[in-house]
Amino acid sequence: MLKMTSSFMALALGAGLFITSATMASARDRIRIVGSSTVFPFATTVAERFGKSTKFKTPIVESTGSGGGLKLFCAGSGDQHPDIANASRRIKQSEINRCAKNGITDTIEVKIGYDGIVLANSRRSKPLDLTLKDLFLALAKNVPDGKGKTKPNPYKSWRDVNPALPDIKIEIMGPPPTSGTRDAFVELAMEGGCEAFPWIKSMKKTDQKSHKALCHTIRSDGAFVEAGENDNLIVQKLQANPTAFGIFGFSYLDQNIDKIQGSTINNIEPGFENISDGSYPVSRSLYFYVKKSRIGKVPGVKEYMAAFTSDKAWGPEGYLSDKGLIPMSDTERKDWAAKVKNLEKLTM
Amino acid sequence: MSHVTKINLTDTRPSHWPERLIKALLLASSLVAVLVTVGIVFSLLFEAVRFFKIIPIQAFLFGLEWNPQTAIRADQIGAKGEFGAVPLITGTLLISTIAMFVATPLGLASSIYLAEYAGPRTRAIVKPLLELLAGIPTVVYGFFAALMIAPLIRLTGTSLGLEVASESALAAGLAMGVMIVPLISSLSDDAINAVPQSLRDASYGLGATQAETIKKVVLPAALPGIAGGLLLATSTAIGETMIVVMAAGLAANITANPLEAVTTITVQIVTLLTGDQEFDSAKTLSAFALGLLLFTLTLLLNIAAQKIVNHYRERYD
Amino acid sequence: MTDHFTKMTPELKRRLRNEQWFQWMGRGAIFVAIAFLLVMVSTIASMGVGALRQTHIELSVFLDPQKLDATRLHDADYGRLIKKALRSRFANVTKRRDKRKLYNLVSSQAEYTLRDLVVRSPSLRGQTINIWFTASDDVDMLIKGNIASSTDETQRRIDHREASWINDLISKGQLESRFNSRFFWSGDSREPELAGILSAFVGSLFSLLVCFGLSFPLGIFAAIYLEEFAPKNRWSAFIEVNINNLAAVPSIVFGLLGLAVFLNAFGLPRSSPLVGGMVLALMTLPTIIIASRAALRAVPPSIREAALGIGASPIQTVFHHVAPLALPGMLTGAIVGMARALGETAPLLMIGMVAFVADVPNSIFEPATALPVQIFLWADSPERAFLEKTSAAIIVLLCFLIVMNLAAILLRRKFEQRY
Repeated sequence: MLKMTSSFMALALGAGLFITSATMASARDRIRIVGSSTVFPFATTVAERFGKSTKFKTPIVESTGSGGGLKLFCAGSGDQHPDIANASRRIKQSEINRCAKNGITDTIEVKIGYDGIVLANSRRSKPLDLTLKDLFLALAKNVPDGKGKTKPNPYKSWRDVNPALPDIKIEIMGPPPTSGTRDAFVELAMEGGCEAFPWIKSMKKTDQKSHKALCHTIRSDGAFVEAGENDNLIVQKLQANPTAFGIFGFSYLDQNIDKIQGSTINNIEPGFENISDGSYPVSRSLYFYVKKSRIGKVPGVKEYMAAFTSDKAWGPEGYLSDKGLIPMSDTERKDWAAKVKNLEKLTM
Repeated sequence: MSHVTKINLTDTRPSHWPERLIKALLLASSLVAVLVTVGIVFSLLFEAVRFFKIIPIQAFLFGLEWNPQTAIRADQIGAKGEFGAVPLITGTLLISTIAMFVATPLGLASSIYLAEYAGPRTRAIVKPLLELLAGIPTVVYGFFAALMIAPLIRLTGTSLGLEVASESALAAGLAMGVMIVPLISSLSDDAINAVPQSLRDASYGLGATQAETIKKVVLPAALPGIAGGLLLATSTAIGETMIVVMAAGLAANITANPLEAVTTITVQIVTLLTGDQEFDSAKTLSAFALGLLLFTLTLLLNIAAQKIVNHYRERYD
Repeated sequence: MTDHFTKMTPELKRRLRNEQWFQWMGRGAIFVAIAFLLVMVSTIASMGVGALRQTHIELSVFLDPQKLDATRLHDADYGRLIKKALRSRFANVTKRRDKRKLYNLVSSQAEYTLRDLVVRSPSLRGQTINIWFTASDDVDMLIKGNIASSTDETQRRIDHREASWINDLISKGQLESRFNSRFFWSGDSREPELAGILSAFVGSLFSLLVCFGLSFPLGIFAAIYLEEFAPKNRWSAFIEVNINNLAAVPSIVFGLLGLAVFLNAFGLPRSSPLVGGMVLALMTLPTIIIASRAALRAVPPSIREAALGIGASPIQTVFHHVAPLALPGMLTGAIVGMARALGETAPLLMIGMVAFVADVPNSIFEPATALPVQIFLWADSPERAFLEKTSAAIIVLLCFLIVMNLAAILLRRKFEQRY
């Protein structure tokens, strides 16, 4: 009977110990990486190989989105904050300021390559040959009415947008406003198409605000469906729905090339070479950011940077290209590798 | 609730200090639950108040547009974002309603059968199976709904000439409905079993069939308990996250058409806190305002449910 | 007189028909619910069963002593040796593009298999050895029939040429499908053919340990207080209402609490099983309290009277006599609560447990994922081969849950007491 009491007490004590030991912060023995879900597959691949091929532990990579990652990254320079942030866009001035406020002034910027954004549909239907203008007209909330004004988007079918296109209902699944892919798509594709109208283009100088509102707002009448960040499920849904199109990163198209196909944009096919040399219009740069002060504090930071920027990883023949990363040109790679080697600080 | 006479162990004798210590420990443990509630309310309120400083509370509660787009780049003007929660509330209600439409008849009918008709062997087999249905993690329902149910609904819908969104509210609602069946079934089972046998016997004595007895006597007597159970099930449906994250969309539409895509409060919380965030922006803070809204909604439902159930218990105790 | 009993009036017939119909409705409802369960589980199981097999390819590799520095065996370039082995196996492949495809037959991390082998037995240096390598996920998918062969050749991930190499390997007995033990014994990987569930499994286990260590003592203590000591007043009623409400708070709200309090205010390590377990503990606490109170209520008052009668103090009465009798019931409640916590995903998403964790965590402070989060992550990965991994991970999770529930049932049976 006494045993019972003591075991009860032991349980209580155990719980107490848990709480006290929890407050003891332990020094970190591995790199922590956060950030963009687009860079996530590349960063995890490098991290995994890094863990297997060196004596360092495998870095922890968390997919938080570019903004979320940079927020955590800039929160401080201690052990509890991440050492590296991945981003599918360049760091913003406001984020640099935030970093500086928290004592981080030694950020190193590394550009790792490109990602294309594609408009794809099921192989059971035909691909489309689009221009950026078609994309804008199919997706914008308001479109020009031909008299120098705008009207709510009336187009229901692709043929309404451009007589050369087939008579298929416009139905596009794409990322939500919370996603960096959406932001890049809006900026690269929509704005590009928007500027096919000279009067809108000239508006950029005179009335920047309404220019942005016109070019950056996607219609919300059901033709565009926000389908979440779970891009893999979009691929499944496209197969189930042959007339629908999806907007997502090139790597997803590459992985599922037997089931879906990318539409050409301005007559350029979404392919490796076209994205790498910049001729495919809807592509963006990918980056990661490192705190220089963490080198030496956390084992392996420098080595991880070296591993990521080796030709074996990010080169045209490297293992990241198998994962869908579109490599930079030889000279650009050389440039960035040199910057990394000299631990050059970020300049805007 | 068969009750044994309760002995109050509150003691009047002077006790040793270790005993007082243990008692204090016991009291402290029971206060943890209160502490958690306080913690939830305060952490949600704290961030939500910061949100309401940027977006007025009435714009949040009654706004019809949900478009939490804040400037991703510093120079991006004209995309301030709209934070009207109405489309999320209607979306949540639409999916919960579908779920309840599926779960109520299934759950009620199965609990009546199990409580009034089934022999002990059937019960011994069926009950654990239903409990298994309740034990399956919701991420599994979400996976199944997104991969199997949604394409199936779309296929059936289009072959009937209907327009079906790929992420229809129906797919998420159906999966959620099946998830809730065991909850409704077990709660109504309790309510039905609590109806005194004497009521049934009296009904049989008047010549009623078993079905008539159930419909006219047992169910009305058990109704408050069943209603309480249904309210609890609704609250579960409203707070369910993974099924809707994986199977429902992100399109903030105000619609009553189950074939269209809608989004829910929980989906938006997950998207806002795992997607691209801005520090201290209205966008990130709005997740906590939504959390507060969700907490308040479910709390009201739970309190109502408990009031009904307690009231009912007193009648037959 | 007898006519009254043998001849049914139409009214009575109608009523009896209604009775039948009513019963069939109940049976139908149960059938629908259970049919859904069976369809769901069997669909997922049939998708996941493929993950138990993995395709392997045999190659003879020359461990060139000139390429392998005996003093630095660990750092040598084993990938090159494997590429060379592939080139000599298919000597007629010359074009650069084709070579890349050729290298893609084996897993991109096959070099580490070779490295580990050589480092373990350095005497192999200079020999030519036959080794079975894990095939790449594309080859694996082809062998398992998951690549549609109807589409145009240029648009498939495996073209005719690659298919002919694979057929050649099969005809020479150099391609085999084996039991995929790696799925159970390794951590997450970006390569579907190498991905396993061990790290997520251990992460789940650690989280559950923390959850149990916190919620069980707290839960039973609270239950003992409320059931045995609490005075009947408004304060006690308030605590009780509180606990009942907490039991029905959506799990995602607990995640928000964890994010705001444990991570932001206390600064506990992000994405660790410690924080995950703490959040889950808060979530399970009400379940355990409610179950423990029921167990305490089931202990007859005679036990308490007897103990008090021979002079035990109230604390002694409870801890020596009542609680031990109620312990099996409390444990059962705890296991049921743990099973619920095991399947919980949403609160863990809020506290950063959606991370890529390849190493198996060694302590509750190290970053980890949990099984349901791993399922969510894999469902999100672009490689098609992850679909079967996702399904297989679901099956493992369900087995884990069934084992826990069985334990609860057995415990209940074994200790069930009748007073």
